[in-house]
Amino acid sequence: MSKILGLLNFEPSYVNVEGLEDYRPISATSVLGRYRVIDFMLSNFTNSGIDNIKVYLKNRPRSIVEHISGTSYNINSKSGNIQMLMGEGDFSNNAFYNVDVQAFKTYMEFIKTESASYVVIAPSHFIFKQDFSEMVNYHVKSRNDITVLYQAGTNLNDHALGGDLLTIDENGRVIAFDKNRGKYKKGNLSLETYVMDAITFKNLVDEASETSSLYSLSDIIADVVRAMRVGAYQHKGYCSCVSTLKEYHETNIELRQEKLLSKLIEDSWPIYTKTSDSSPTLYREGAVVKGSIVANGCQVEGTVVDSVIGRNVVIKEGAVIKNSVILPDTFIDKNVKLENAVVDRLAIVTHIKELKGTAEKPIYIKRGDRI
Amino acid sequence: MKKNNMVAMILAGGRGSRLFDLTKKVAKPAVHYGGKYRIIDFPLSNCANSHIQTVGVLVQYESILLSSYSARSSTWGLDSKGGGVYVLSPREKDETGLGLYNGTADAIYQNRDFLDQEEADYVLVLSGDHIYKMDYEKMLQEHIDSKADATIAVIEVPMEEASRFGIMNCDKNDNIIEFEEKPKEPKSNLASMGIYIFSYKTLRKYLVDDAKKQDSAHDFGKNIIPNYLESGLKLKAYRFKGYWKDVGTISSLWEANMDLLEDNNGLDLFDPNWKIYTDDPANAPQIIGENAEISNALITQGAVVNGKVKHSVIFSEAKVNEDAVVTDSVVMNNAVIGKGAKLTRCLVMDDVKVPEKAVLGSKNSKDILLVSKAYLAKEGVGHE
Repeated sequence: MSKILGLLNFEPSYVNVEGLEDYRPISATSVLGRYRVIDFMLSNFTNSGIDNIKVYLKNRPRSIVEHISGTSYNINSKSGNIQMLMGEGDFSNNAFYNVDVQAFKTYMEFIKTESASYVVIAPSHFIFKQDFSEMVNYHVKSRNDITVLYQAGTNLNDHALGGDLLTIDENGRVIAFDKNRGKYKKGNLSLETYVMDAITFKNLVDEASETSSLYSLSDIIADVVRAMRVGAYQHKGYCSCVSTLKEYHETNIELRQEKLLSKLIEDSWPIYTKTSDSSPTLYREGAVVKGSIVANGCQVEGTVVDSVIGRNVVIKEGAVIKNSVILPDTFIDKNVKLENAVVDRLAIVTHIKELKGTAEKPIYIKRGDRI
Repeated sequence: MKKNNMVAMILAGGRGSRLFDLTKKVAKPAVHYGGKYRIIDFPLSNCANSHIQTVGVLVQYESILLSSYSARSSTWGLDSKGGGVYVLSPREKDETGLGLYNGTADAIYQNRDFLDQEEADYVLVLSGDHIYKMDYEKMLQEHIDSKADATIAVIEVPMEEASRFGIMNCDKNDNIIEFEEKPKEPKSNLASMGIYIFSYKTLRKYLVDDAKKQDSAHDFGKNIIPNYLESGLKLKAYRFKGYWKDVGTISSLWEANMDLLEDNNGLDLFDPNWKIYTDDPANAPQIIGENAEISNALITQGAVVNGKVKHSVIFSEAKVNEDAVVTDSVVMNNAVIGKGAKLTRCLVMDDVKVPEKAVLGSKNSKDILLVSKAYLAKEGVGHE
């Protein structure tokens, strides 16, 4: 498996998670209490036997750099490696740095075409479980130049807007890429995961950057569907594109159910993350907790219903939290009522006693805010 | 990283036979505690937090799990250059052949090569089966400041219980003048916690002398400390205030778990400045189901609760199924409480599957019921 290199892309420009993304990329955002979004894709890599991984970083790389260490992800400390590649020197101030191709090109020297025969490029704003080794096998067997992972999407009219929709012919070949503009409910959503050999990757990156400095990898792949053999590989099972605050909220709220979560995290497919060494969670007398995921280190006195509670959160008596996502290290004071809210890290909610959003438009409370 | 020249030696060889089935296959220091911990996490985390870099773990009884667990130094951050956790089991030697550790002092004596190699100036001797938080660095400072040859941590116990402990009789400056093991008529209530700091040079000499004595029990309390006192060496008591528990029995282990449900329990697992580190398994978050009822409970990552949990501690990957009621109980790792089962004052061992509708334990029983696979088989629970 050492011949496969994993490349974790940064999020494309259509990702716009209101509020949360002012502080960190979506990949570094806390999800399901104890994870960060990126943990799911990194675990896909390591569980697929790929332990040479490059993580491309755009702006605000601090939280990712702090979070990622090879040992957390079950990577061999000698033969494996996670390399973090961030904007350096001239291109850190360059507007074009927003495009993945520029980052790929800058660090092409690290992709040795002779040693890594295949690359798997995966997105950092999706949550799904996929054995990449199976996808590589399919890629090799089908003699594709490029294989794209996709899912038969069912609610695309208000999800993954700006993502790529694939037109696939009867032979499983991708013949067109279109942007999802929310016109149709159903379609084949690209999971922005590509398998190709390293030489093809290098050529595509060169071609893209020669075409235009605004070109992304998906743009160039869309261009070459006639000239090259671009195959489609179907993903089955849970998949979430986290590109808006609504999708972020929804993903957390739906995955708190054991029947969904148990398909994403299995004994044979663990999701690795960095430990925070928190104590178990203490539920005091009078606490009411139902239908929720609660991370370690919390102290709960109030009521928590259908919510996701991050690490080291304090919820005082009389507080009522419904359909909400509470990020780590927050403090919810006595008698505060929250519904359909996303409370960012280190916030203290004490003076405002009631905040209500909707599932369509969850209310966001800023990082470190004291309200 | 700053380094102190004290090497910790954790005595972790005991069986803990009063824990019955719990320690049939697992040495007592490796027994689970408090939802996500093993007992030995406490002395190991204390060492790490006290800036000790080198820790020997002396194993003997059923040590497979304990050894493999302890050897992962990085769990406690004890993996700095030049430091680490070293598992030391009895081994074959040139002159004496193959022998077990015969007593606490003998265990250290048999590892004097290790202490020589580590160039220890001070040796901290600890038990692997006590639950407490202590800054050994402060104790070392007192040991150095008072120019003692040995410093022994002591804790005040109720006078009526003093006859169960090794009691230190001290002068007004906390110099130890007499040691009495389980005295019938105790003169003081300062109990030894089994935590010793020795200046290594002197200790080495006394260990070598003691090893030659046929009639010695090779025990710190019975032999080494009395020999020190007899020779007029300086022994200092180091007073400890705070939570300390020797979990020797099922009921004391249960009690130590229940203590965590009390406010101000003295152990304060939430203190960010003195974390207790432990293995971090890659399991799912804890899931609390739609119909769950939870009150006064400590529950950890990986647990799934769909039933009722009252005044109980639920460990990693344990499951409490629909309509089950768990009261005043401890449910250890991976145990499953079947639908509609009712458990009161129970300690459910790791991996035990309690069948649906089983009724175990009672509110009025004095003892805590140890629910093991062997118990369920013996009582025919689930095989009616």
